[in-house]
Amino acid sequence: MDNLQFLFAGFAVFWAALLVYLLILQGRVHSLEREIGRLEERLVESTEAADRGNEATAAGASERVAGRTVEPSAPTT
Amino acid sequence: MNVPRALTAAVHGVYGLRWLVLPPATAIAMFALLVGAVIAAPREIVEGEVQRLMYIHVPSALMTYLAFGITFVSSLIVLWKRDMRWDAAARASATVGVIFTAITLATGAIWGKPIWGVYWAWDARLTTTLVLFLIFSAYLLARAVAGPNDEQVARYAAVFAVIGALDIPLIHMSVSWWRTLHPQPIVFRPLDGPALPDEMLLVLMIGFGAIFLLVLWMTSLLTDAERLAQRTEALRARLDREDRG
Repeated sequence: MDNLQFLFAGFAVFWAALLVYLLILQGRVHSLEREIGRLEERLVESTEAADRGNEATAAGASERVAGRTVEPSAPTT
Repeated sequence: MNVPRALTAAVHGVYGLRWLVLPPATAIAMFALLVGAVIAAPREIVEGEVQRLMYIHVPSALMTYLAFGITFVSSLIVLWKRDMRWDAAARASATVGVIFTAITLATGAIWGKPIWGVYWAWDARLTTTLVLFLIFSAYLLARAVAGPNDEQVARYAAVFAVIGALDIPLIHMSVSWWRTLHPQPIVFRPLDGPALPDEMLLVLMIGFGAIFLLVLWMTSLLTDAERLAQRTEALRARLDREDRG
């Protein structure tokens, strides 16, 4: 009995199933890439916001410090 | 010497070597399986060339038990310890198990057409295997719609997986308990020993080794991907909390 076509079909199914697995894995890796990209963007935004906040705080502090340095010289004038 | 700690360290050590050992070992074993199944194994007189499908069908069926066995144990640990790392292992092994159940069903159907005259028969072994495929497909569907760190869904899914895995002994014993069209066991026969010529048995053993390594490799890869998804999700949830705070 020669059933070569069935043998080829069986092996083709095996390799096709492995391909399906690779596609599942690829989908998982892609979704992870997207999620990590979004997290990186949020991290950059929050770091920039924090930096702006720090700059504003520092500017306010230096103005207050400058105000204090001026005050002692006021009575002498 | 603390034996459990030493054992845990040994398991961690072996697991750490997986990316070094599994790819080349699987490649060599799969190559040996293909050469053995297609070229080296003798041609079966009655069934002809299609009998060579046995070298992937039987190991795939057995490694389905292994994959769902991992799902079963991991699910029990999820229920016991509530450790989501084991949920990642359960999901990964269930995915690999479903893929190998599909291979088993499809190669069996392709073998059945020239030998039985039909692709499918509502035989006890075939039907219980189809039920296993459907149970774990439903499990994966339920897990896919929930987030990777959803503990409540993970616990419900673990209960479902533990109950679903009870189908495995039913599948294994189906050919003994009922009159079936499916061939009787030819390798694991405790009383009589294997009923195969040595050359065929050797190729079948290579097949068991090759598919075993393949299942381990596929499961560990997917487990790592699921763990990464859990860690990413946890990081996102933490950033959300910080943003709100």
